[in-house]
Amino acid sequence: MEIKKMLFVTEFEELWFDALQSLMDLRKAGLNHVVFLHVIERDKVAMRRGTGYLKSEEVKLKEIANVRFIEWAESLFEKGMECGAYIVVGNLLPRILEVSKEEGVDLIVTGRHKMPKLKSLYADSSTIELLRKTVIPVLVHKYIISSGKINDKPFKRPLLATDWSSPCERAVDLLIALQGVVEKAAVVHVLSEKDIKGLSKMDIQRLHRENRKKLDELCDTLEGEGIDASSHLHIGDTFEQIERTAMEHDASMIIAGTSGKGTWKSRWLGSVSQRLAESSELPTLLVPSKDKDHK
Amino acid sequence: MRKKVLIVDDDPDVIMFITSLLESGNYKMIVAKNGEEAMAKVKEDKPDLVILDILMPKESGIRMYRGLKTTEYLKNIPVFIYSGISKRTFLRSQATLAEFGGEAVPEPEAYIEKPGEPEDILDTVRELLYQGSSSS
Repeated sequence: MEIKKMLFVTEFEELWFDALQSLMDLRKAGLNHVVFLHVIERDKVAMRRGTGYLKSEEVKLKEIANVRFIEWAESLFEKGMECGAYIVVGNLLPRILEVSKEEGVDLIVTGRHKMPKLKSLYADSSTIELLRKTVIPVLVHKYIISSGKINDKPFKRPLLATDWSSPCERAVDLLIALQGVVEKAAVVHVLSEKDIKGLSKMDIQRLHRENRKKLDELCDTLEGEGIDASSHLHIGDTFEQIERTAMEHDASMIIAGTSGKGTWKSRWLGSVSQRLAESSELPTLLVPSKDKDHK
Repeated sequence: MRKKVLIVDDDPDVIMFITSLLESGNYKMIVAKNGEEAMAKVKEDKPDLVILDILMPKESGIRMYRGLKTTEYLKNIPVFIYSGISKRTFLRSQATLAEFGGEAVPEPEAYIEKPGEPEDILDTVRELLYQGSSSS
């Protein structure tokens, strides 16, 4: 699993050129092609009573994006990188899917798209919806964290959260592909209260030991690939424990596999992936399942 | 025989602008939306001139230009770069690629940064198509 080509989706709000620059460490892991995508939401240029379709507004917005992309592209071209750009009118999610398929990218980078709680009851966040429809890993990049601190080396100290699922195995492969960029990794597995419900003390200890062993084996695998790694096993709320471990490890990013499946319950409470993408201060690299109906 | 001009740009407005400019010249115009498509058309149609943008989807003009100028039977096709990317950046990027193990490529035959004046574009096209022979 390599990251050679990256789709950088920007609304020019959260993800600016500095945020893109912070990802250039990926060149050490083989990145050589960046594709920019700016989607002008249809309602910005839609038909209005008395004015009709705002063609001049579309031209203006496209030109503003074009000027920015030219400046960004010049910087990347001069480093010997390949670069492309799309500026399109439409709905964000279908456009991301179209361009990622057209270009055959290995990674999609987006900002976080928070939704009002009420809307999230009947519609998934675009990130979760994207993960449901793509097999491509999605990085929800957070360059400026809320305390005003800048995360300019997101791949330096990743925390891999695993539940031993097949998307998590893909996440491990991705972490291994980042070998030239990662300084030190941590891996965490969280046993939820549901996992231990009704188990005896002995059974809990057995479960703990089994997972500890798997974590150690995973660390051995990573170290065999040249990545220094530490393991962490916790019991509790998955999101909270991942966040806590990230803080203890001084993590620069969270990597997790995700099935992309959302239940009504998870929609109400927020799935772990969704909570990481929307609420964690750290960039979140979510790796979806390899098998999808919609590619 | 009509001269063939390949226009490579992902912006339909630019394609329309250039094709309407060149209409009076009785050229056969071929259009491609990115470097990848353009390279296929170069091989198929053997144009007399390529008007090339740089920042495009799929494959940039920088890569396409390298492909053209490092292919023996294509390298003599004149290339007129018409792009928002500055000439300085273009030359520096080619130098960087050469430095990292790529072949050195010559400067393009013409370079105009967008937006170009219609007269300058027309003069450049005529000059490149009829250099060394009498203009029609």
